[in-house]
Amino acid sequence: MIKVENLSKSFGSLKVLQGVNAEIKKGECVSIIGPSGAGKSVFLYCLNGLEKCDGGSIYINDDNICDKKTDINKIRLKMGMVYQNFNLFSHLSVIENIILAPVMVKKISREKAIETADKLLETVCLFDKKHSYPDELSGGQRQRIAIARALAMEPEIMLFDEPTSALDPAMSGEVLAVIRNLAKLGYTMVIVTHEMNFAKEISDRVFFMNEKSIYESGSPGDIFNDPKKPATIAFIRKLKTFNYKVSSHSFDLIEMSSRLKLFCVKYNIEAKKIDYTNLAIEELITYILNHCYDKKQTPEIDITVEFGDIDKKIEIEVVHDGKTLNPFDKISYTPDETETKSDTDNTDDTDDMGIFIISNISSGISFSGENGINRFKIKI
Amino acid sequence: MNFFNTVYESAYNNLIAGDSYLYILSGLKTTVIITLAGLFAGSVLGALLCLMQYSESKILRFISKTYIVIVRGTPILLLLMLLFYVVFAKSRMDAIYIAIIAFGLNGASHIAEIMKSALESVDSGQVMAARALGFTKFGAFYNITLPQACEFARPVYQNAVINLIQWTSVVGYITIADLTRVINNIGARTADPFFVIFIGILIYLGLAYAAYLIFKMTERKKRVRR
Repeated sequence: MIKVENLSKSFGSLKVLQGVNAEIKKGECVSIIGPSGAGKSVFLYCLNGLEKCDGGSIYINDDNICDKKTDINKIRLKMGMVYQNFNLFSHLSVIENIILAPVMVKKISREKAIETADKLLETVCLFDKKHSYPDELSGGQRQRIAIARALAMEPEIMLFDEPTSALDPAMSGEVLAVIRNLAKLGYTMVIVTHEMNFAKEISDRVFFMNEKSIYESGSPGDIFNDPKKPATIAFIRKLKTFNYKVSSHSFDLIEMSSRLKLFCVKYNIEAKKIDYTNLAIEELITYILNHCYDKKQTPEIDITVEFGDIDKKIEIEVVHDGKTLNPFDKISYTPDETETKSDTDNTDDTDDMGIFIISNISSGISFSGENGINRFKIKI
Repeated sequence: MNFFNTVYESAYNNLIAGDSYLYILSGLKTTVIITLAGLFAGSVLGALLCLMQYSESKILRFISKTYIVIVRGTPILLLLMLLFYVVFAKSRMDAIYIAIIAFGLNGASHIAEIMKSALESVDSGQVMAARALGFTKFGAFYNITLPQACEFARPVYQNAVINLIQWTSVVGYITIADLTRVINNIGARTADPFFVIFIGILIYLGLAYAAYLIFKMTERKKRVRR
């Protein structure tokens, strides 16, 4: 259905795509993942000629759209495109948005176009909004209308350019449900996405794009669980970890914990564990900032959180370059002993309290300090 | 009763005596003609200048930009005088045509800018979406860009029209008997100008209001909110 041979594309002197080869069969659902700037969206735009390719060829069925003689407008009719920011026609109502192209381009009669549009609106559950205008709809609703608009042209191929990245999780759920449905109906689909779980679940094949081309491709199982090439491995690993850098005494605690929570929610970690993780990091960072750095020093603390697939435990790693101090030395894990300890030397009550809390909620702590690099590992 | 007598007398002297009202009407007609013809010429030339800005040719873009900078920065009265006393000094062209040319030239520089900024306000993503749906370049422009650009341009364009109406009041300088000039003449004759000036202001207000109503009529019907 789609065959890409040695495609290259550059913007001015900047090469974006180079030597891209791919084949997508009829009815196949392909997800494209990869770091930002890898050329995922550009590749998608090339597929329907919105970006002209500089070299190589793209065959849609048997027509090469990189050939200037090909009537690109005709081939585009076979392809529906859905964008990150919806791009609904803001001066037209929902129904007008959907029937505009069928009536003006395909020359279908208005009545017939409205009939089809009504059915499509029902499938995306937005029949009630028929006469609303785009700015009266939520993001999720807009995107579903955009999908209906693309489907109204009865395309054979659907291209999605990050369809949910402008939406919050609840709204992207609505949109993903609609796309999932399309996959069941057997559309040929190419989806550029950052929703890894969605890509894993819906696609027949995954393309990992990196370094201006398709770096690795394979079944979702291959790419997500058993990637072969180094950049893929690094990318997939990074997906599974949370990173944060503290580089100031007054770092943005709220930002860090909300990002941490987002990460944990993605892995379905239970609420209690999320709170513990958050608490442990907060207490430890506070301790390090107070004891290992003096006020004039710029702290450099790296936090990594990883969710272990096997033991279902959260691993926190905190690395800093301040004074080597292990607060957990002073504290043993049995509560009685700690009480006696804090009776004898209650110099820094609050900080000791934090350390005490960490040791209580964690199921394993290790510390190493060498060459000025201190490393805490906490399991929760 | 004295007061009413004075008002009546003033109205009679300024409006009725010597068929002043007919004189005022002919002045109004001149003002309306200059405004409409100037607006038309300005819009056509403005669209052309705007088109030139999107041209591939550097020279055309340069000409358009330079024209806009120079003409927009020149007072309309000086432009009028330049045309009347210098450029067309030896021709026997009716002064009213010269005024139309002057307002056309001046209006074009403003209208070109209005059009350009309206076109630029249209979200390029929507044009892209239309292209992806199979519209040709022109089809996308006609169905998506143009209607939205018109919406953006309407209030600014309306403003320009009302401005133009008021600026036509300077054509008296080149011997044209427009509304302002007529009012001035009548006031001078009766030596009691208050009443007629007041009437003149009302007429200009009426013109501005008429322009407003016409624009209001072309506005897209208000959406029915859910």
